[in-house]
Amino acid sequence: MKGLTLRHLSKTYFDPYSGTRVDAIHDVSLQVEAGEFVSVVGPSGCGKTTILNMIAGFLPHSGGDILVGGKPVKGPGPDRGVVFQSFALFPWKTVLDNVAFGPKMRGVARAEREKIAREYLAIAGLSEAAGRYPSELSGGMQQRVGVVRALANDPDVLLMDEPFASVDAQTRMTLQEELTRIWAEKRNTVLFITHDVGEAVFLADRVVVLTKGRVLDEIKVGLPRPRKWDDANKDPEFQRLSAQVLEKVRAA
Amino acid sequence: MRRRLETTAWFMAPFAVILAAWAFVLPLFEVNPRLFPQLSQVIEAARETLADGTLIQHVGASLVRVAVGTTLAIVLAVPLGIAMGVSPVISTFISPLLRFFSVLAGIAWIPIATLWFGYGFGAITFIIFNAVFFIVTYNTLLGVSTIPMPVRNAALSLGAGPLVMLTEVLLPGALPNIVTGIRTGLGFAWRGLIAAEMIATNVGLGYMLFVARDFYRTEVIVLGMVVIGVLWLLIDRLVLAPLERATIERWGMVQRA
Repeated sequence: MKGLTLRHLSKTYFDPYSGTRVDAIHDVSLQVEAGEFVSVVGPSGCGKTTILNMIAGFLPHSGGDILVGGKPVKGPGPDRGVVFQSFALFPWKTVLDNVAFGPKMRGVARAEREKIAREYLAIAGLSEAAGRYPSELSGGMQQRVGVVRALANDPDVLLMDEPFASVDAQTRMTLQEELTRIWAEKRNTVLFITHDVGEAVFLADRVVVLTKGRVLDEIKVGLPRPRKWDDANKDPEFQRLSAQVLEKVRAA
Repeated sequence: MRRRLETTAWFMAPFAVILAAWAFVLPLFEVNPRLFPQLSQVIEAARETLADGTLIQHVGASLVRVAVGTTLAIVLAVPLGIAMGVSPVISTFISPLLRFFSVLAGIAWIPIATLWFGYGFGAITFIIFNAVFFIVTYNTLLGVSTIPMPVRNAALSLGAGPLVMLTEVLLPGALPNIVTGIRTGLGFAWRGLIAAEMIATNVGLGYMLFVARDFYRTEVIVLGMVVIGVLWLLIDRLVLAPLERATIERWGMVQRA
């Protein structure tokens, strides 16, 4: 397990429509400790997805450093697992082969990588779906596959880009609870991007509020784990933290 | 299974009506057989040409040309389309050529093809290659561009290298469009084949039609036309459709037709 460091990260790009240079990210510095779960929350357009795409290596950064375990990142790589809002499963592969894809890229033999994939599918309650194709699953099940596909590759850092934004509210709460349960077991370093304040607080050890490409504030979340929505909704501490984060986001 | 039979029955129905009309209504009128044959004459012509082996010879020659030309075209077009799909430089350079030659693809090449390859197999296979190559290239390019960026990024972040990217992401991702390209291209090829065979060969279905005309043998012409249509339906139903069912339909990438 390794930590993630952003040092004076910035992103400037040329907007061909307005003909001007746009500063999407100004000077963001952030430390995610090894095994820490950090949520980044902010209004749309605040640059949170841009930051994630730069960390994942999908987008070059203009200035500053991105370090995983102290080493600068260059392009996409298996040390950083990504869970996408659109799931981004391979429609032409079975659920099992989707999850086994990462280990396959690492050169793990078929029997071994299928064993790994089955273990992760079992964690997510998807053992029955192993032989099915993604199109045959509900959105919630597809994203469960998306999460364990990233985890099965044993990444140093797990990057999650509004992963539960496109499933219905009930399923979302279940997925959030499952994520805290799986995370309690694996203790990955996680950077979780969301615009949902409740989600950010519910999941994280620490919530970072982002605005206009800057870090506005950070709020520690000391709620006990494992977390359940039934408890959280009754917990005055959860209410207080959510209100505090919401206030920051609205001020953003 | 029952649904399949029902679909097939509905598909056959209009043909059955036409055949019935041909068999029972046309004989009531005195139609000049030099203009249109009776069904019985066509059946007789089929029996004759099957017995002396000429029909098989013509069909065989046509099918071999289509198979060779199409296979060559697909083998070259898919890699080119994918290369264009991943490289803006290649795409920018090739696209104008693609547009230019896709208009010419088909029988416009017959005169020069016969000069290059002589009459027969070479020239006709070249025509077919042309008909298929450009449309499959274009559709492959289109297919690659429809693969969502997150899916490609997912593969990269799971550690996929260029070769894996090609075989496990780009190729299957572009497959729905590639199949569409092959289907359209084969349709063009099949039509181009008949036209080319009328001019540039001495065997094949197109040749059979054209020669029969010289002898006013409308029953042979109509037989040839029926064979051409039936063969196409068989290629479509027995080769392309099962291929689609086993891949892109199974993956949920297209709706079942």
